[in-house]
Amino acid sequence: MKLLEKTNRTYLLLSGTAFIMASLIIYLALSMIFDSQLKEKMYDSKMHVIQSIQRFGIILNDPPFVEVKENLKGNSEYEKNVDTLIFDSAEKENIPYRQVISSSLINGKYYQIIIRNTLIEKSDILITIITVLGFVFALLLLSLNILNRRISLKIWKPFYLSLDNLKKFSLENSDFVLTSSGDIEEFSQLNATLEKLTKKIISDYQSLKRFTEDASHEIQTPLSVIQSKLENILQFPEIKKEQAESIQAAFTATTRLSKLTKALLFLAKIENNQFEDSEKINFSIIVSNQIELLKDFIAEKSLTVSVRLEDNFILKSNYLLTESLATNLLGNAVRHSIPDGNIHIGLTNGSFRISNTGAPLKVPTEKLFNRFYKVNMTSDSPGLGLSIVNKICEVNNWKLDYKVENDLHTVTVTF
Amino acid sequence: MKILIIEDEIELLSSMSDYLVSEGSLVETACSFFKAEDALSVYNYDIIILDLTLPGGNGLDLIKLIKEKNRHAGLLIVSARNSLEDKVRGLDMGADDYISKPFHLAELNSRIKSLVRRRHFSGLTELVFNELKINTETLEVTVNGTVAEMTKKEFDIMLYFFVNRNKVITRDSLAEHIWGDSLSYADNFDFIYSHIKNIRKKIELKGGKNYIHNVYGIGYKFSDR
Repeated sequence: MKLLEKTNRTYLLLSGTAFIMASLIIYLALSMIFDSQLKEKMYDSKMHVIQSIQRFGIILNDPPFVEVKENLKGNSEYEKNVDTLIFDSAEKENIPYRQVISSSLINGKYYQIIIRNTLIEKSDILITIITVLGFVFALLLLSLNILNRRISLKIWKPFYLSLDNLKKFSLENSDFVLTSSGDIEEFSQLNATLEKLTKKIISDYQSLKRFTEDASHEIQTPLSVIQSKLENILQFPEIKKEQAESIQAAFTATTRLSKLTKALLFLAKIENNQFEDSEKINFSIIVSNQIELLKDFIAEKSLTVSVRLEDNFILKSNYLLTESLATNLLGNAVRHSIPDGNIHIGLTNGSFRISNTGAPLKVPTEKLFNRFYKVNMTSDSPGLGLSIVNKICEVNNWKLDYKVENDLHTVTVTF
Repeated sequence: MKILIIEDEIELLSSMSDYLVSEGSLVETACSFFKAEDALSVYNYDIIILDLTLPGGNGLDLIKLIKEKNRHAGLLIVSARNSLEDKVRGLDMGADDYISKPFHLAELNSRIKSLVRRRHFSGLTELVFNELKINTETLEVTVNGTVAEMTKKEFDIMLYFFVNRNKVITRDSLAEHIWGDSLSYADNFDFIYSHIKNIRKKIELKGGKNYIHNVYGIGYKFSDR
């Protein structure tokens, strides 16, 4: 819910309650006033009737408002209020009347005096009150709303400005600033805090990246020492088979570690935008060269490869990145293809498509592009190939798609 | 052949030195910028191996010095920073080749030999091993004077064996030399075996001996011993 909507709702709820309460109070008060006035007026009429009999012996009769008659059987004075309905022949409806029926002893005779007065219909009063008050409240709400909107626009403007700026926040953009927030202290504080926060995030991110890069570099030298020592041991003529096998295993492990750090370094460099030089690249040639390089592995697995390459498919990008994209995707297809499987490679209509027959994925496809994500946990590969591909597509604004259909895994890069 | 190795990691320095000495080279070492400066100002070398990340100064500065004092030396750069900029700058400044850490000693040796061949072009295009001869210019392998037809990969494997003769060469090292980075997409090394088998067959067909010996299933040794 938006801020303005929220305040409006609160206003509506409050004024609604006030409206109902005010209507009720006014109604009750008016009723009371009407009643007491009516009572006074009817008392006056009764006095008038009595006086005219006392002084002039005239019996006033004005039905249905005043009805006076001598009550021969009367023996006491009383007064009672009985409301009644009287049919009005002119309006053809029953009209409510208040009537005071009294018996009075005047000049030694008892008279029955009936004073009547039309009652104002309560529903009429209520409707009037609701209409008038409703109008007033509606006017009030409307003006409040307009006012609120204006104030919001003005007061909250810096807030929305900061919000827009924050939406543009990116870890890669190290010179992120929130624009000034005007004279409202809360917003200034908010901005200051946010700025501190984003600066911290950016600097943490940068140092993490630097750490990855430095660590990867630093690991290479000790690895070289290990590898060269192992290679030297292997040259001793008296070495035994078991020793040779252990050395080989250690060798393989160092190679793995070295490849892992190199891949991490490569990723870090892509993220640092260290591959900014772009040139015109004949992607068709890159792809066919890579296929040529993989020939031995394709033959080893007895894979059937069908290739459909558009000639001279030109891309404008970084050469190393483009080559890495092709190597990774083609290599993955070969690696993950089942023996005697099929690989289809297509470079047509602005997209590069590679399919291979493989075992069905047991995992959600989104995870496939995550770092160190391995479909096969026993695999020697560090699981960075697809995240490198993903990163390359990201920096080049290429679209990367992956889908599985009938054991056919297809990766599509749309340029 | 006189080689100077400039490398600050002493253990790596000794490994490289041992390997190259056993190959019959005369090796001198320098483990810092200043020692390298000293060595360079006194002696002449055929090959200089230079680690770019040196304490006491940037290795790239040393390249300038090498180009002044040792113009004729072949320069091979070693770097832990597998970065393109270093490579491009190094090569621009006159380095002849670039190898990134970690590397196989056999690979280093192969690079040095190739550098020597390129530097001293005449007379070194042919390598001889008993009845086998390999020509790096025509890319031909001959057995007792008759050509044994080989594919480019088979020739490269032969050349790697020739320059690293009498040494145990691991399959990793051989595979990385021939297939490079695409190697990581192979599930096993069986494909090397079939290449080796083909080479042996082709040489034996021309009456040559099999000098490629299996070493405990971890690699090969090209030797007549």
